[in-house]
Amino acid sequence: MQDAYIVSATRTPVGKAFRGSLSKTRPDDMLAHVIQNAVSAAGGIDPARIEDAIIGCAMPEGPQGMNIARIGVLLAGLPDAVPGVTVNRFCSSGLQTIAMAADRIRLGEADLMLAGGTESMTMVPMMGNKVEMNPALFSSEHINIAYGMGITAENVADKYAISREDQDQFAYNSHIKALAAQESGIATGIVPIATRSYQTDGSVVQVREGLFSADEGARADSSLEILARLRTVFKANGSVTAANSSQMSDGAAALMLASEAAVKEYNLQPLAVFRGFSVAGVPPEIMGIGPIAAIPKVLKQTGIHQDDLDWIELNEAFAAQALAVIKDTGLNPEKINPLGGAISLGHPLGATGAILSTKMIHAMREKKLKYGMVTMCIGTGMGAAGIFEILN
Amino acid sequence: MKNKTKLVRRAAVLGAGVMGAQIAAHLVNSGIETVLFELAAKEGDPNAMVKKAIAGLKKLKPSPLGFSQVTNLIIPANYDQHLHLLDDCDLVIEAIGERMDWKKDLYDKIENHIGENAILATNTSGLGIGELATVLPESLRHRFCGIHFFNPPRYMNLAEIIPHAGTDAWVLDALEAFSITTLGKGVVRAEDTPNFIANRIGMFSMLATMHHTKGFNLGFDTVDALTGPAIGRPKSATYRTADVVGLDTMGHTINTLTNTLPNDPWAKYYQKPEWLDYLIQKGDLGQKTRQGVFRKKGKVIEVLDGHHYRPADYSLPDEVKAILKIRDWGEKLAALRNSDTREAKFLWAMFRDLFHYCAFHLGKIADSARELDEAIRWGYGWKQGPFEIWQAAGWQQVCEWINEDIDQGKSMANIALPAWASDGREGVHGIQGSWSAARGEYSPRSSLPVYRRQLQPQRLLGEPTEHGETIIETDASRLWTLDGKVAILSFKTKMNTVNDALVADINIAIDTAEAKYTGLLIWQPKGPFCAGADLFGMATMVKEGRIDDLEAMIDGFQRVNLRLKYSMVPTVAAVRGLALGGGAEILMHCARVVAAHESYIGLVEAGVGLLPAGGGTKELALRSRTNTVAGDSSALLQQYFEQIAMGKVTASAHEALSFGYLRPSDVVIMNTEETLFVAHQQVKAMAESGYRPPLRHIKHAVAGRTGIANFRTALVNMQAGNFISDHDYVVSERVATVLCGGEVDAESRVDEDWLIKLERENFLELAQMPKTLERVAFMLKNGKPLRN
Repeated sequence: MQDAYIVSATRTPVGKAFRGSLSKTRPDDMLAHVIQNAVSAAGGIDPARIEDAIIGCAMPEGPQGMNIARIGVLLAGLPDAVPGVTVNRFCSSGLQTIAMAADRIRLGEADLMLAGGTESMTMVPMMGNKVEMNPALFSSEHINIAYGMGITAENVADKYAISREDQDQFAYNSHIKALAAQESGIATGIVPIATRSYQTDGSVVQVREGLFSADEGARADSSLEILARLRTVFKANGSVTAANSSQMSDGAAALMLASEAAVKEYNLQPLAVFRGFSVAGVPPEIMGIGPIAAIPKVLKQTGIHQDDLDWIELNEAFAAQALAVIKDTGLNPEKINPLGGAISLGHPLGATGAILSTKMIHAMREKKLKYGMVTMCIGTGMGAAGIFEILN
Repeated sequence: MKNKTKLVRRAAVLGAGVMGAQIAAHLVNSGIETVLFELAAKEGDPNAMVKKAIAGLKKLKPSPLGFSQVTNLIIPANYDQHLHLLDDCDLVIEAIGERMDWKKDLYDKIENHIGENAILATNTSGLGIGELATVLPESLRHRFCGIHFFNPPRYMNLAEIIPHAGTDAWVLDALEAFSITTLGKGVVRAEDTPNFIANRIGMFSMLATMHHTKGFNLGFDTVDALTGPAIGRPKSATYRTADVVGLDTMGHTINTLTNTLPNDPWAKYYQKPEWLDYLIQKGDLGQKTRQGVFRKKGKVIEVLDGHHYRPADYSLPDEVKAILKIRDWGEKLAALRNSDTREAKFLWAMFRDLFHYCAFHLGKIADSARELDEAIRWGYGWKQGPFEIWQAAGWQQVCEWINEDIDQGKSMANIALPAWASDGREGVHGIQGSWSAARGEYSPRSSLPVYRRQLQPQRLLGEPTEHGETIIETDASRLWTLDGKVAILSFKTKMNTVNDALVADINIAIDTAEAKYTGLLIWQPKGPFCAGADLFGMATMVKEGRIDDLEAMIDGFQRVNLRLKYSMVPTVAAVRGLALGGGAEILMHCARVVAAHESYIGLVEAGVGLLPAGGGTKELALRSRTNTVAGDSSALLQQYFEQIAMGKVTASAHEALSFGYLRPSDVVIMNTEETLFVAHQQVKAMAESGYRPPLRHIKHAVAGRTGIANFRTALVNMQAGNFISDHDYVVSERVATVLCGGEVDAESRVDEDWLIKLERENFLELAQMPKTLERVAFMLKNGKPLRN
């Protein structure tokens, strides 16, 4: 089996949903933007040689429907010859696509592959435009499928005895780390994106153009006192608040993967090698512990020891589940989310896996580190984990 | 406004203070395009100040907003940029700070922007209208007068209209008609004397109460226990009212009296008591600063005592309580006067000095006793005005008591009652009208055309009432007519609740109307439209195991509501005030509803563990479809579900439209006193338009099992999150089941009878559940819902 190299990784900055900088930008336009930049950042490849574009999206309907992967490819100006497929595994979709693209290369079926994810939580709400659960759920043991993510976080907090104070502290740290990272100017793969909104003052349509170039979720005005005052939103007298949960966001990322032959042929600069990927299932009502099941699988598969990991992007769906995962796996907290996480920077569902991978690859290269892991929990009770070896 | 007196195309309010902003909101509630002005901000957006005031309206309680869009509909403006917006205004209400120089500056500034036929009215409460007219540019004087609203202007019925010597008559007539029909107010014309009528009398009543509080050494809490509902006044009584009004505002009103009435026989009492000065100086101004005469410490209400606070104690001696229960005012006042308790003596002294003051000043401040009593009823929320109480107690007897006290030097002012009071009369209100002390004759009610729209106005004590012609009268209701054409049904049950007897009467009323009348109108002369079903009766049936009887009762109520819907003659509900549970269901089945803006409608059955089973749930299921013009009705169904599951009550008739309790064809009016007239007109117009009931054999699409599952998805999460109890889940699930038409395929078509059957079956099952019975028992005992 041959190696699959990541030869480019680009992303939009992450915007806050509804009132943020990307709230008027369609998810297919965000996708086209990152695909275009991933292709050009890879160097002088022949775009027609891209075997497929595999793109993740957690709520593929409405403006994200119609196989958004193929639409993104065409809007990006790639040749008609480049196909596209949309993949949904909720919050791990973006990581899943990297694994699938890598597999095609590792099997020798492809030399150049695009992977990525896009999600506008502004335009398509979580759970989709119209939730329609199977009526049979409510009289069966599968009622746990109907639980909202917030309730599952409360369940995890109960089961793993994660206190409100610890969750708030974790959330606060996320903001502090994010702000420090932004201040330091460390590279995270952002390609600024032009935004447009169309408004009228009553006489003409005015097009407001902007350039969005930095993640906008982190708050400098956060404090433990403010966090402690917030009410719990999912459970009366619970511990999960809006502030110790991930933010709703808009964003996209795309990565170009190449075989060794393609690297040589086009004289590409490999950024990383994709080492392996695992997913695992857990009870839906405590979906937040998903990484606890997925991480050992991927470590075993790749033969890499937990202590060899230099960097871990553990998606902060909720402080409660992130802390439960840390507590159970014994991962080194100092290696987790050094640049902040979804609580401060946002979590555009199906794009997150690709965004975290992009961010980690660029930052680890700058810090000259070797092994990095991206892992997250997944709705209806799953976990995913993927390992990259960074090439400096 | 001249010529076409009802035509206010646009109005402006100058000054976005607490009153100005709320007046603007109420103008918009009333459907009037309104510009609200404030000073231009010195930096940034020149409209920043007015915009802030408009945003502040959202936080006020009770809400000044009749519907949520009101704040978006008030047009913000500032004097630097937007004076031209005044050009098209037919009514301009000035409500800026109470300073003569400020007002003069403003009047000069706006002079050239007030249209030729526009009215300029000031909402001043402290300055004289005649005095203000002197600083007004000449061209505006004849179109200038006072219009004094009470806070909160949406809810306080009173608007005092005050002319100065040069005000044109058409200005007053036009403004009166407009204030009544378009704004829904009760209008009293007042003379241009300090504080006008309501505050002159109301504030004296407060001052007399304060004086005697000290004299009889009573606590503020005790006085509030004595001067609230026990004597027909609002729950906030005396000192709590002061806190709500704002102690600084009250101080200003007292200052007006001090400064303008130095020669009044009661002048020495026109001063702030020491404790009031103390609190104002400390900045403890009452509710708005969360501390005044009262404050809340945790759950304990504390009251000022000296310069300290102690827990409030509202208990009264048994003897006093017994006296307060006496219904006859004559006996009550006699008992108060003869009692040895300080509480009773205090009350008598308070009434005595109030009566004395009212009689002495009547000739100066009001045209007749009617204006004085109405001003106090509408501006201070008393059930009866001072003269009405005096008259009810026996006019001459009270005169004797007052004179005796004056002679003994007990009264606050040592001055005789006016001669007319002791002329042997039996009162001041009667068949001929109300006594005008100024003119020495009885004054009939106003003959302005606007009052012809009040077919059964609130009467003062002693005034004759027209009852119309009775068709059928039982213990539960009266069927009557005003014109021999429209049958009017008025309920007589407690709080106008629905019981078996009333259901039988409604059936007979429909029969009678179909046989002999052009239509049926449901209107209540007093109380709420209908506070719901007779819970006690239902609880008794369950307790006694008479489930068949309960089923028959529900079945009967469902059937009568369907008859209202499908009656061959138009059925019109004239609604004001509360329409809850069964009351809401009755109006939802009438062919048309005429609802006063102040109508509070809700399907509240879930609070007692039941669901609306008089056709209300069924109607919302149907309306979720008919009110969705195109596309997916599930969002509306979701909203209706939440309304029922949470027992929400609308905050106005406008809101009832968005809640689906009213239809776009229903009529919302502003004045509660005009509901009968407008409903009468509607019945006639519908009959003349060849009224036919809706066709009934239509099949309706329902959300079915898919819809129920969607509601369960939300409920499962609320239950897991402890936001709802297990029984809430059960009740809500039943509501969802009926709203979705049962466990059928999505988009199945069902008929109305199927939905009615689902309502009835689910109701009966809920009614027998122990937790529902606990809720019902708790509601009957405590008047509020139990969460179990």
